[in-house]
Amino acid sequence: MKRRAFHRSPLLAGMAPLILALGTAVASAEPLDRLLEGYRSEGADPFSAERGRALWTRQVRPDAGTRPRSCTTCHGEDPRGVGRHARTGKRIEPMAHSANPERFTNPRKVEKWFRRNCKWTFGRPCTTQEKGDILTYLSSQ
Amino acid sequence: MQDHTVRVWDEPLRLFHWTLVASFTAAWLWQGDRWLHLHLLAGWIFLALLLFRMVWGFTGTRYARFSAFTCGWREAWLWLREVTQGGGPRRLGHNPAGAWAIFAIFFLGLLLAVTGIVTQGGEERHGPLAGLFGFATGAGSHLLHEALAWGLLALLLLHVAGVVVESLQHRENLALAMITGRKRAVPAGLALDVPRRRGVAMLLAVALLLFILFWLRGSLAGGDDPFLPFVGPELPHDAAWQEECGGCHLAYHPSLLPAASWQRLLREQEHHFGEDLALDPDTVRRLQRYAVGHAAETTPTEASWKILHSIPAGTSPLRITETPYWRRKHREIEEAVFRSRQVNGRFNCDACHLDADAGSFEDGAMRLSRAAGLDDERSGERA
Repeated sequence: MKRRAFHRSPLLAGMAPLILALGTAVASAEPLDRLLEGYRSEGADPFSAERGRALWTRQVRPDAGTRPRSCTTCHGEDPRGVGRHARTGKRIEPMAHSANPERFTNPRKVEKWFRRNCKWTFGRPCTTQEKGDILTYLSSQ
Repeated sequence: MQDHTVRVWDEPLRLFHWTLVASFTAAWLWQGDRWLHLHLLAGWIFLALLLFRMVWGFTGTRYARFSAFTCGWREAWLWLREVTQGGGPRRLGHNPAGAWAIFAIFFLGLLLAVTGIVTQGGEERHGPLAGLFGFATGAGSHLLHEALAWGLLALLLLHVAGVVVESLQHRENLALAMITGRKRAVPAGLALDVPRRRGVAMLLAVALLLFILFWLRGSLAGGDDPFLPFVGPELPHDAAWQEECGGCHLAYHPSLLPAASWQRLLREQEHHFGEDLALDPDTVRRLQRYAVGHAAETTPTEASWKILHSIPAGTSPLRITETPYWRRKHREIEEAVFRSRQVNGRFNCDACHLDADAGSFEDGAMRLSRAAGLDDERSGERA
């Protein structure tokens, strides 16, 4: 019945791709995807988990006087593991999406921590490319 | 000799006497914040015993009754003069000087108990008078409490000296008499034994034991954390504060620093101990509102009041650990302890303070054994 109705209705057939596209859009409206789309719209290249991993462990000396810092200084080498705040020793829950589904569900929070932590670690804000790469890496873990 | 003794002190009186000695000694030894719950246990027993003795002064046996030894100061003075001249007439019950000592001990003892309860209500915000007095009253009462304790100690020493003198003059061990209840009857046959009143003594003993068990019920149940028989009011909390501050460190309760400090801290949020907090203006406003509204000036706790009053006027310290009160309170803790892995720095209050998150910093909510190399003895420091 359905099949026949489909064939008999050119209007419905014509709408099918539209409905499909709409469904995809709804699915991608997850906070993480919205963030990544936002970065892309600001001119970032396609994101790479591999570049994200390299950035995660990159050692940087933001000032001449400080010891080299990286994301791993506080979060640990393995993003699925628990981290420790470098100065206060406070426990930091895992960053990897698989170990901590809470991560990247609040875009405001993500941006706040990027603002704070990029400045401390690299001595400058992160680019949209770096943010997208890191998020792609951490959400793939 | 045994034939010539007579029972003078009934059993409840003797039990009262020695438990009063024990409770005063215990309260004296358990001074300081760490032992506050035991100090209070001893204090309540002390007060209860005094009240019991008041009732017994009217309902007890012959020599226990106030009417048996109440006398004017002139009589006491004359009696003391006779003592200095080699000894007055021997008495079976309390002598006039002893009677005055008893009433003085009563008076000071009751004042001692009352000032103790006022101190607890004012400084700790718990006990029957919690919240009725401010910290200034509590602190004043604390001073008075200590002065009274010294005064009472002096009085007790005087009492002991009197007992020694009279024991020597009349060749009779009066302290032993307070244990056995018996004194020499001279001439024999003139005085009669007072009744034992063992039932009342048993009742008193059972009541004391039950009270002690009730007080220590949590400690006896065991468990890792210290038992707090009483706690002060719960402090207000804010979700944003918990989230923003607690992300990196203990979310220090705003009552631990004055409002000016919090305003400065949030104004300078781009240079927060070497970090840029990158908080958005809305969040900063919300945090400011909460911090200022619950800053040290609102004095919800003993710690907040003492921190506030230790800070020199016109200054707004950014570190709680910089305030004179904090420094004084932690001066005996060695640097190595703060550096130990378990503590990891002065700012980690919760390494030792179990209620650091709640911000109440109750005296008893301590677990010093959590920290490396720090034994419980060190916390015996006075408030």
